[in-house]
Order: sequence, then structure tokens, then C-alpha cells
Amino acid sequence: MKKYIFSRIIRSIFSIIIVESIVIAMIFTMIPKTKVLDLDTSYRKMTGDTKTVYRYTRYEDLGYLDFDRLSDMCKKESDDYNGCMVNGSEENLRVIAEYESKGYTVDKLRNGAAFAIHEYSIPELIWRFWKKLIKIDNPNAITDDNNPDLERKYYWGSDKDGNVGLMCSGCQYKYQLYFNSKFPFIHQNAIGLNFGISFPTKAGVPTMDVINEGQGSQVTVKQTFPTGLEAESAIIQSSCQYKPTIDHLDENKFTDHYANCSSRYDSPSMVNTSYIFGILSLIIAYAIGIPAGIAMARNKGKIGDQIGVVFINVVIAMPSLALIFFTRQIGTVFGLPDKFPLYGFKDVRSYVVPMVILAILSMPSLMTWVRRYMLDQSSSDYVKFARAKGLSQREIFSKHILKNAIIPIVNGIPASIILCISGALITESAFAIPGMGKMLPDAIQKMNNNMVITLTFIFSTLAIFSVLLGDLLMTIVDPRIQLAAGEDDN
Amino acid sequence: MSEKNIILSVKDLEVKFKVRDRVLTAIRNISMDFEEGKVVAIVGESGSGKSVFTKTFTGMLDMNGEVSHGEIWFEGRNLMEIKDDKGWEEIRGKKIATVFQDPMTSLNPVRTIGYQIAEVIIKHQGKSKDEAKQEAIELMEKVGIVNAAQRYDEYPFMYSGGMRQRIVIAIALACHPKILICDEPTTALDVTIQAQIIRLIKDLSVEYGFTTIYITHDLGVVANVADVVAVMYAGQIIEYGNVDEVFYDARHPYTWGLLSSLPQLGEKGEELFAIRGTPPSLFEQIKGDAFAPRNQYALAIDYVKEPPFFKVTDTHYAKTWLLDPRAPKVEPPAAVRELHDRMLVLTAKGGIYGEH
Repeated sequence: MKKYIFSRIIRSIFSIIIVESIVIAMIFTMIPKTKVLDLDTSYRKMTGDTKTVYRYTRYEDLGYLDFDRLSDMCKKESDDYNGCMVNGSEENLRVIAEYESKGYTVDKLRNGAAFAIHEYSIPELIWRFWKKLIKIDNPNAITDDNNPDLERKYYWGSDKDGNVGLMCSGCQYKYQLYFNSKFPFIHQNAIGLNFGISFPTKAGVPTMDVINEGQGSQVTVKQTFPTGLEAESAIIQSSCQYKPTIDHLDENKFTDHYANCSSRYDSPSMVNTSYIFGILSLIIAYAIGIPAGIAMARNKGKIGDQIGVVFINVVIAMPSLALIFFTRQIGTVFGLPDKFPLYGFKDVRSYVVPMVILAILSMPSLMTWVRRYMLDQSSSDYVKFARAKGLSQREIFSKHILKNAIIPIVNGIPASIILCISGALITESAFAIPGMGKMLPDAIQKMNNNMVITLTFIFSTLAIFSVLLGDLLMTIVDPRIQLAAGEDDN
Repeated sequence: MSEKNIILSVKDLEVKFKVRDRVLTAIRNISMDFEEGKVVAIVGESGSGKSVFTKTFTGMLDMNGEVSHGEIWFEGRNLMEIKDDKGWEEIRGKKIATVFQDPMTSLNPVRTIGYQIAEVIIKHQGKSKDEAKQEAIELMEKVGIVNAAQRYDEYPFMYSGGMRQRIVIAIALACHPKILICDEPTTALDVTIQAQIIRLIKDLSVEYGFTTIYITHDLGVVANVADVVAVMYAGQIIEYGNVDEVFYDARHPYTWGLLSSLPQLGEKGEELFAIRGTPPSLFEQIKGDAFAPRNQYALAIDYVKEPPFFKVTDTHYAKTWLLDPRAPKVEPPAAVRELHDRMLVLTAKGGIYGEH
């Protein structure tokens, strides 16, 4: 079993790598990179050298190529920096020749200054993605020439509000590992995923932050800063990162350079938004769908079953868009909002209609399958024998059939729970819910390539591991299934 | 039959099935008494209504079937008056238990063996979980499961076919039923296991004192264990009597045919005997003797009028016009006449008849 799980995980990781590499190769080769800047308004207004430099800087940020301006070239390749910086000088030409021999294309700006670009090949692109993907924070992470005395160490500490954690000086994040009252109670900043930056929407913000950071307006909380300052502030102290230059506002609050902190917002992040809706509607769907399916199977052909079949057919036949708008209309009759932001996150009324819609949409298939598996099982021999044993129909259903029929359903549960984070495109759009649903289509439309790569990675990883989880769960409910690596060894 | 202890008495039973808007009469007016403590074997070819007949005792007919006529008396009450499953739960398992043909599928694959035995004990005897477990383990030992206590928590897939059938029998016995119906209990098992299971049921029937009803088309099983044999054809019992009478003094041409086609009696090099033709369609009204079209001894009256039961001895009856005093004298086929001698030879070789 352990061996099997291990080999499954290895295989899962391998398939994730393959899928992700293919996606990267496709995105970087099939989408012309000029399109990336189409939606950048400031770029459109630029002219001349500024435009050229801006363009290549952007491409470098987005991982298309390596861009070195003359100053970078001279810094890297020449001991005589000032000599190198003079256009046409001997040193200058030597450095250019050096770059050309390394495979760079050297060009000149209008002012005559040389610059070198090197476009990455597909293997390079893929290699660079995986190389920088997992970011492990360490005390040597920060190189700040202006702060040579920065201590490099880990230490246990607590903030003035009493939250304990493993702190670090010299790392990107001050709080490496910390505990608080929020689920799952232990948090960490030591290991992170780095997918690059989002562009052109939320330009420059790391993609993971875009989907993970809170939304809406900032909320302040009364807190005590390391300096002893007590203030109402939106800052989350445990999120603080190293800030090279601190201003006097930072100095008021912090005793060190860790002053680049995220803020508290009143609305959950995109992921959490989608997750809240997903999970709640899933609970409703399972809580109603499974008993309904069971009841239908038990009363096959009777009026209750027929009503259920009609419901299933209507929901499946009706275009989901029609169902969404129809239900939304009904909701307004009861005074429920037709747009989510109307009452916002704090108000229960905002949730009711979207959740009901999501539940209704996922119920028919659940009901169909439960009913079908129950009926399949009801005609089996052990049910006949259970009747001959003198068990009542009720006992047979609850003690024998259900446990068999639920096995294939159980297999799908982890996937439905985990993949809630992918959001619901149409419903979220119809209600203007700031969730994950629109993320992928939007990212594709706006050429936000890193975002597409990020989302592909997250969704495919979660999908693959939820299948594994489903299989593991199945071994619990079905004793006949034993996961074994390789051939039949038990 | 007699005025001995009758445990179950069937009177003029008729069972009809609705199959795609047509009505099929599966059981055509059977009357039969089951004597307490005896082993009764019901034999006949597929589709003759053996299983349907016994299913009526526990109200386990399929949804499209119904008893259209007749009574079944058991412990002073007419079972046909029970209308719902709730009423039947008092009978099923508790008073009349059934063992089905295929042990591989008779047990719930995702419940432990122990659970499935204990469940019945808890339900019908009202015992606590621990007591039920104790009794279940005893039962498992009784049906020949080694290390019963350790194997209590195992699942059916960990048991072999023969062991599963032993468990099925243990479940059937869990409530000390008065009648055990064995619906082809050994068909799905291999020959050596068959003999073991049959002996087990026989031993247990003596110990627990239940009446056994075997449904089988294997005459080998019948000869080995049965006290009384009833031969069924086209939804009717056409001959019944003590096992020796039916085997060695059969009177109905259909019984002759059945006996002649015993593969154990086949001569090397000779073709095995087979009854020609097929049974009549039960969708149609049967006129006269149902077996007449396949019967080489058929008389003119067989096509016109259904024969009554003729008494051969006090315990032996057959439903054929050949026993009418006016009928011509007919000798049974040679194979049947020599049956007794052949059986003796077979037994003399050291084998028990039916085990080979």
C-alpha cells in the first residue's frame, strides 16, 4: 500500500510535469509575444528608445528572453565599466563581441547604446519554469548592498500581540512558521510557489498573490507593532517581507527592514470566494441529492421516483444559463439580490440564490448515479438472500445496498470538494461574484500567460491528487480494493 | 399422503406471472404435503417451476408474479393471507430459510462474514451484539470453518466458494428454522465440495431437526439424501413417492426419461439418453397431459384429458393415464428396469452414489 501510494505520487508528479511543460511550450511558442503588450496602454503611448527598452524589460519580466542593457553588459563582462559605457570604444566592442559569441543578438538603441537580447528556446523556457517554481526561503535570501550588517539567523519569537512563530532575519519573509487562531492554525512562509508575475491585469503582482489576496476594501485591526506602537492598521504582521528602503512611516512601526506587508481586506480572495460557494453548494447538493437518489431507487416507478426523473430531465435539458437567470428572477421576487456586490460578503442574502443554483445544477447527475447504482445493487443475489434472511426492505437498503452503491460515488467526492476552487464561470458572471470562475477565460483573453500557466498547474495538480485521494478513500469503503504496486502481490 | 406430522401443506396452488402483457402460468394447481423432519427433493428440468414453487413459501416471488389461487398452510395459518413484506419477515429466515444456488454472490461483498451472520441473530433472536457474535462463531465452527473466531471479521472475497456456501448455510441456520429450502445449493460448486456440502446439510438437519426441501436437477443428489422425491413437469408435480419407489419403481414416463438420462448410467461408447422435444409453453392453456407430445407411450386420452393422481402405494403417486386399469400394460425402458442393479454395481465399486 505504501509502495503503491509512493509510486502513484511519483507518477502523478511526472504527469503534472509533462502537462505543464506542454502548456508552457504551447503558450510561449503559439502566442505571438507582440500580442502581450497590445493591452498595455502606457506602452502604446511610448515612443523611441523608451518604448524599445520598456518592451524588452517587459519580455524579460515575463520570461520570454534575457535582456541586457549596455550597463548590465558592462557590469557583467568588463572590468573597465566607464570605458565600456562609451559607445564604439575598444572595451565596448569587446564586450559586444563577447555577448555575440554567447549567442545573444546585439542591437543598438537610437542613442547608439548597445543592448543584447537572448530569446529562450523551448527547453530553456521549461527548465527556467521548473527551476524557479519552488522557492525555499533561507537566511541568505536577501542581498542588500545598503544593509551589510543584516543578521543571518533563525530564532523563535513572538510579536507584541503574543503570536508565536519561527522568525528569520535575512530571509525574504520574517515569519517562517507561525501559529494563530485561524484555520489550519499552523502557517508558513518558508516554502512558496513562484509562477512569475501577472500581466497586463494586476501588472507586476505575483500570480499566486492575485488569486490568494483578499479583495474589497481594507479593514483595520487594533494591533501592537514591534516598536510598541499601538494602532488601528490593516497590516498583517505575519506576512511582512524584506523592504530594502524603509521610510519613517515604517520606522514608526518596525524595528527592522521587514516592512513590506500585505493588508487585511473585508472580502475573501478569489480562491476563497469560489471555495465558499463551491463547498456550500456541494453540501446542499449531496445532502439533498443522495437521499433523493436513494428514495427514488426505493420507490422505483412510483410517483416520487417519477417526479425525481422529471426534475432530473428538466434540469439537464434546460440550458444552465436559462436556469440561472430564471432562478435569479425568482430570487428577486423574494427580495434577494440579483448581483452579489449589492449586499456583499457580509450579508447572507447574497449567497442564497447562487448557492441554490449551483446545488441544483450539480444535483441531477448525483441523483441519477445514486439511483442507478442502488438499482443495480437491488437486483443482485445478496439482496435476494438478505430478503430470504428475513431482513426488512429498509434494513436491506440501509445496511447492504447503500454501502455497495456508495462506493463509486465516494470515489468522486474528493475531486468535487477540491475542484470547487476552480469556480463556476457562468453563475459567478451572472451574479458578478469575484471568484475564480472567470479567471482562466479572462487570463486567456488578456494574454496573461503566467496566469494561464499558474491556473493550469493548480487545476491539474489538484485534479490528479484528488483522483488519488478518491482511490484511497475507496479502499476504506470497499475491502475488496487493495492498492498494490506492480503485479498482484496480494 | 398420510396423517403424520405435516409441517407445510400446499393446497391447489396456482402462480401466474405477467411477462410483457402476457400471462404465464408457472405453477398449475399443485397440492403437496411436507412431512416434518423429512428430506424432500423436488426435481425437474429448468423452467418446470421448482424454484417458483418454493419461493411462494416465503413470499419471495418476483414483482411480476402472484399466487392467483391456492393455500399454503404452515403452523396453523395460511401464508397466502400475508400481504406485505412486514408479515413475511416473521416467516423468512426465522421459520423458513433459503440457501441459494450461487454462494459467490449470495453474500454482501462489503460486509464482514461475521456481520452478516450476527445480523440475523440480532434481528430474529433479539440478542445483543456480543451474544450474537458468540453464537455466530459457534455456527461457523459447526459448518466447518476452521479458526472461526479469527475469520469472523473477514470479508466474503477472502473465502472460497465452498466456504461461502457453508457461511450461507450458517446464516440460514442462525434462527433455527423449521424448514430449510436449498435451491440448487451445490450447482455452482465443484464435485468434491458438493458432496461435503450435501453431507453437511444432512448432518445439520438431524442435529437441528429441520425439514429440508432440495430443489435440484441432479438426481445424484436426490438419491443420496432425499427421503421423498417429487418430480415436477410444466408447473405440476407428476410423480411423488419415497426415494426408492421413485428410483426403482417409477411409473411416469417423464420420470423414466429423467432416470434414463442420468449420465452416471451411460454406457461407454453409447450416446446418452435425452428426452426429445421441449416443454410446452406455459403462456398457453395446456390441454390434457402436458408431457404427452414428448411421450412415446402417450395414449389418445392424454391429449384430451388431464390425468388424475393414481395411487401406486400409500406413499407413491403418479399422474399418468398409464396407471388407469383400462390402459395398456407398458414396460418401462430397459435402462430404468436395470437401474437397481446398475446402482448396486456403482456402489459396490466403493463409491457413494452421487460422489464420483
